[in-house]
Amino acid sequence: MVGLVLISHSRKITDGIKELVEQMVADKVKVVSAGGLDESTLGTSVEGILNGINSVYDESGVLLLVDLGSAVLSAKEAIEFLDESKQNNVVISNAPLVEGSFIAAIEASTGKTLVEVNNAAEGTKELNKLG
Amino acid sequence: MVSSVTIKITNKVGLHLRPAALFVQTASKFSSNIKIKNISRNTGFRNAKSSLELMTLGVSYGHEIEIEATGSDEKEAITALKELVENNFNE
Repeated sequence: MVGLVLISHSRKITDGIKELVEQMVADKVKVVSAGGLDESTLGTSVEGILNGINSVYDESGVLLLVDLGSAVLSAKEAIEFLDESKQNNVVISNAPLVEGSFIAAIEASTGKTLVEVNNAAEGTKELNKLG
Repeated sequence: MVSSVTIKITNKVGLHLRPAALFVQTASKFSSNIKIKNISRNTGFRNAKSSLELMTLGVSYGHEIEIEATGSDEKEAITALKELVENNFNE
């Protein structure tokens, strides 16, 4: 099953998203909160992201959900530090962080592939919230 | 053949959050094509196995939905989804 790594400049944000996602899909999806430089400092940590990826990795792959700027750069750097065999199986999503994580968790819980999970997550960009 | 059911949503949050996840997970267990529409909002049919498409229906408390399934396990699929909704998503 596809694993999810949540990356924001704030650990509180990724902890909150993780709480929301786990309430929805219980233990059916592997989600890691990898926001912040550490739990109390704003920023992003390549090491924290790398550990997060490795902790949820299996052959189904891992989707990284990011906010902006250095979250993306740190995610890219973390992928470079991964074993080569894993690198092609880890994707940074262009989805909005909260909405994308939400949809990705549901899709991953039904056993969809990494590409399918990411397509659904990125589809939230086109979602008209106001109906 | 086609199996379908029309049913009212009676859980508080509607088809959002955990109920939405459970609905998609349950639909995904069946091989049949399963579609859903929100009668109360006069929407078209959407893929019941896609959380993203489900979100576009905006199904809330009190809304009436129609679920339609086509395939070898369509009856079982409709029964399972109907029960899920009737049991208020086991809340």
